[in-house]
Amino acid sequence: MNKDLLLEIKDLTVSVKRKKEAVPVVRGVDIDIPRGGIVGLVGESGCGKSMTAKSVNRILPPFAETTGGSILWHDSPGETTDLLKLKEKEIRKKCGTEIAMVFQEPMTSLNPMMRVGDQIREVLKIHKIEKDPAVSKERVVKMLGAVGIPQPELRYNSWPHELSGGMRQRVMIAMAMICSPKLLIADEATTAVDVTIEAQILDLIRDMCHASHMSALVITHNMGVVSAICDHVYVMYLGSIVEKAPVRELFTNPLHPYTRGLLSSIPRIGNNPEYLETIPGNIPVVRKPFSGCDFCMRCSDDVRKCFMESPEMREAGNDHYVRCHTALTGPDPGESKGTE
Amino acid sequence: MEERVLLSASHLCKKFRLDRKNSIYAVRDVSLDIYRGETLALVGESGCGKSTLARLLLRIIKADEGSVLFEGRDITGLSEKALLPYRKEMQMVFQDPASSLDPRMRIRDIIAEPLETWRIYDDRRKIDDRITELLEMVELNEDCLDRYPHQFSGGQKQRIGIARAIAAEPKLIVCDESVSALDVCVQAQILNLLKRLKDRLKLTCLFISHDLSVVSFIADRVCVMKNGAICEMDAAEKIYASPEHEYTKYLLSSIPKLIF
Repeated sequence: MNKDLLLEIKDLTVSVKRKKEAVPVVRGVDIDIPRGGIVGLVGESGCGKSMTAKSVNRILPPFAETTGGSILWHDSPGETTDLLKLKEKEIRKKCGTEIAMVFQEPMTSLNPMMRVGDQIREVLKIHKIEKDPAVSKERVVKMLGAVGIPQPELRYNSWPHELSGGMRQRVMIAMAMICSPKLLIADEATTAVDVTIEAQILDLIRDMCHASHMSALVITHNMGVVSAICDHVYVMYLGSIVEKAPVRELFTNPLHPYTRGLLSSIPRIGNNPEYLETIPGNIPVVRKPFSGCDFCMRCSDDVRKCFMESPEMREAGNDHYVRCHTALTGPDPGESKGTE
Repeated sequence: MEERVLLSASHLCKKFRLDRKNSIYAVRDVSLDIYRGETLALVGESGCGKSTLARLLLRIIKADEGSVLFEGRDITGLSEKALLPYRKEMQMVFQDPASSLDPRMRIRDIIAEPLETWRIYDDRRKIDDRITELLEMVELNEDCLDRYPHQFSGGQKQRIGIARAIAAEPKLIVCDESVSALDVCVQAQILNLLKRLKDRLKLTCLFISHDLSVVSFIADRVCVMKNGAICEMDAAEKIYASPEHEYTKYLLSSIPKLIF
């Protein structure tokens, strides 16, 4: 591999404690984020997207912990640190200055008792980047302008409740970007805002990535968002990556039955069938150790092998990988259970 | 012969006071007709007055100006008591399935409640039969009847909400962002369900959503709102193929497109 990687998530496992037993919610996830690239992570709610993201800057909720794997941060092509092994103090320093995160809820992630400008300036103060109040204020105002907030000098003194949802999300992005991070993690950053604002915020993230050579990990359940800004996509189902590919490759040639199901269940303007295709069944809730493919219960390919052994990630060419027994070869007629 | 128009609103206005001096028009001078058997979609960004308009049409809140006719009769000025018969004819499915079901009621009681309130059946057995029929319509198993809402997933809860809404055979159901909180796969299942029910029961539906792709799947006519007023209302194909109003064009161009 000759890729210049910024972050490498390797075989990450996150478990949630429930009644004395540990339930794995993220199981052996590998994600590579190249320098300057935008990587998308998609899946339904509860599939472990957010848990994966939160393990990167180590803000998992108290009931969850990383139980295996490593998250390698490449400061420069020879210098590597494992974020999971850093001390609490060191990781806090890294988050905010080098890794920034934007959350879904712009209403609850801002402090309602603090003017938005001061909240952004706090970042500079805590990380001891800019001590002079006048200079840091000027920097904040410039940043507010850069994320497309009109009249940034006036808005500096606004309270969060005076701003609309889209404006608040811009403030969150400004706060994340103020230290010029190398990696931006956007966890459902546009889910709570309107389409018109969503388009603007996506443009903003993409422009910022291009302008300052920043990388981004975009977590979403919206395939439209993925196709709008990502270079590379990872599809997650029940805590593991089932398919990864460059964005155009994934949309033109989806291989995993889950990805195909996800794509066909989206209503499309101008091209609607009488009824939408859906994936039968629900996401399994109980996660007992199971030897077969996680998706076999909902899959249309009825092959015995899928119930017996868990598939490995296999390459399908064009930098496209898929975790499925049948996607590359098609169901083997000799192995079919004979229901058809 | 029944009239073609089920519900008709003319020149509706609703003003909300912000403080002593200022007030804001949430809905201004809106006139629209909902025809029997059609699905009319109300789209627009958040805060544009979609939900307020729906609540005015159902007479959940009172309009400042204008009138609402339901089957030709003016319901604008009716008292709560006089409204009761109309309440049965207009039901709502809400956005958040978790908070719109009473957590302390079993599914059986939730679905039976409208049947009992409107005294549709005098016999307990008939109520049970109707519940079984409703469950079959929304594709739920009968063994869920004695469980509580928290034991269901979001999609299943939304199915229960739909069963409750159609229980008393209303003439109009209002779906206020009913599929917005669901994952794509579940959303597709619920959309299919709504479409099937619409065909089977000849439902008239006011479908409120901010998602134009969802609306394109389900709606016969689309009404685009901005700042409390209607900017464009036309047949769905027309709106999507050749939008006339600038704002409609802007909305359509903002949707993140799937490339292929």
